[in-house]
Amino acid sequence: MQLDTSILVGVLFACGTFLILQRSFVKILFGFIILSNAVNLLILAMSGEPSRKLAPLMTGESGARVDPLPQALILTAIVIGFGVTAYLVVLLYRLFLDHQTTNAADLYGPSKPPEDPS
Amino acid sequence: MNAVVLPVLLPLLTAVGLLLWGRPSPARRMLAAGSAAAQLGLAMGLVVRLAEGGWFILPVGRWAVPYGIVLSIDLLAALMLTLSGLTSLACLIYGFFELPVRWEHPLRLPLVQFLVMGINLAFITGDLFNLFVAFEVMLISSYALLTLEADNWDIKQAYPYIAVNLVGSALFLAAAGLVYALTGTLNYSELAQVTAGMSSDPRLLAVVLLLMVVFALKAGVFPLYHWLPNSYPTLPLPLAALYAGMLTKVGIYVIFRMLTTVLPHDLAFVHGLLAWMAGLTMLLGVLGAISRNYVRGILSFHILSQVGFMILAIGLFTPLSLAAAVVYIVHHIVVKSSLFLLSGIVLVLNKTDDLDRGANLWRVTPWVGVLFLAQAMSLAGLPPLSGFWGKYLILVAGLELKEYVLVAVSLVASVLTLFSMLKIWLGPFWREDESVTVQVNDSRWRPMAAVVTGLTVISLMIGFGVEGVFRLAQQATATAMDQPGYALAVQKTLAEVKAKGLNP
Repeated sequence: MQLDTSILVGVLFACGTFLILQRSFVKILFGFIILSNAVNLLILAMSGEPSRKLAPLMTGESGARVDPLPQALILTAIVIGFGVTAYLVVLLYRLFLDHQTTNAADLYGPSKPPEDPS
Repeated sequence: MNAVVLPVLLPLLTAVGLLLWGRPSPARRMLAAGSAAAQLGLAMGLVVRLAEGGWFILPVGRWAVPYGIVLSIDLLAALMLTLSGLTSLACLIYGFFELPVRWEHPLRLPLVQFLVMGINLAFITGDLFNLFVAFEVMLISSYALLTLEADNWDIKQAYPYIAVNLVGSALFLAAAGLVYALTGTLNYSELAQVTAGMSSDPRLLAVVLLLMVVFALKAGVFPLYHWLPNSYPTLPLPLAALYAGMLTKVGIYVIFRMLTTVLPHDLAFVHGLLAWMAGLTMLLGVLGAISRNYVRGILSFHILSQVGFMILAIGLFTPLSLAAAVVYIVHHIVVKSSLFLLSGIVLVLNKTDDLDRGANLWRVTPWVGVLFLAQAMSLAGLPPLSGFWGKYLILVAGLELKEYVLVAVSLVASVLTLFSMLKIWLGPFWREDESVTVQVNDSRWRPMAAVVTGLTVISLMIGFGVEGVFRLAQQATATAMDQPGYALAVQKTLAEVKAKGLNP
């Protein structure tokens, strides 16, 4: 179970990194979404081997329970990631409206070196 | 000690109040400035009460470690809170003079408050995951401010800033998860106890390096700084000054906090790596500054060069060099913000901050020239200004460790800093050109210059009263490095709270 998760996290990190290195900002956005999910999964795996453990609820049963702290962390991280993703989507839309492209090569091409903004 | 939460609560409540207020008005501006002034007063009170060492600790919601979050303020955190209060107050008042109230974006002031809240939380938190939350509050507000009033060109520059910082946040989260897996806690004092004997453990080294990548990214250390110099000049000037003064310094503060309070003190490999990265940062930063031809661009690259000095001081990792780092941070935040604010005055007077198109400022408005000279020479490190003492202490610490190459690099970087400051001086200030008019009738520049004068006086006071600042820095360093004392203080607070009834 832990090994499967580790491999999945590795694959997701690789995909996310690959997408973030692309030139299209839409792909960068998807790369970021995949990356944040990979990280969430990584933290989930940090609560240890979950099989034959009880859910961390006060049910009166006794026995080993899954560590609840990583789950609390993920909950926070998901909310933050959701907010940031929403912001990124809007920013991407604004970028598209302004420049009619979301491709980094067109936006920052060699014909346009950093210029004086004033 | 419930007052520990005030530096976070104050900006939060102010932000909510400002949002509910809605339309920009002079009274609404007074609320924002009043909140910053209150924070400044509170933080200065904390500095006075903590000047002899000690901690104020609050287990939030009476939850025990490791389930709850601990907030704690020591002298270093109190000093940083003072600086963030001072910078935000100065930048807010400057912004009120720079921009008439009818043109102000209604979201600008609330977002500044949220930004300050994130910065302050990063200073006072005692928990690694809470630090992540603080960074996110800070970064999301900074993204929003960066794009709030942006035009086509600005949006283009903002995207790399945001993309790079998002990757940094994801890595931070992963590092926090790995720390939890390795140690079973995220609390600073418990982490210090657990990692105390682990300094040769390769797993700890891996996690620490990942954390250092994240914080070096936020601080703008070579080779992770390319997001900074093009994005900062696009901000409205009072905000650029706030960003330049505070944001990268949060990264430096966190590196300092991690290496002194949280991690074992014998991670020689990490310290050495930081010192050499710092050497490259200061050199490449200053070379980048020389390559730019407008004031804000030069100043933005100088942030990086100065970050190099601070990281070098942390990387040398002797008590003297760490105290030097604190002195340097105190000096740098004041001087850097006021230089950015000065470039705003240049922009108002000349209608450009291009070095080739501005002129005549020294002849028409000599006071602005005096202010610029004082702060620029301080940045370059000429005695007896505040920058000299920070650099002097770092060089002494470097020579004691026989790090001659790094000392030489920092001297070269200082000379080049002086050169690029002279480049600004020879452009808009010294050059005389009859075809360039100076807008002295623009009534905004006098009150703006008054704000900068206040900051300049403070930086001169740091320079002339450096002994007191250095004593405070030494005490702050000693308290930050006192891991057993901190753990004891946390346990004592928890025991006191437990006596009154603790959550499970």
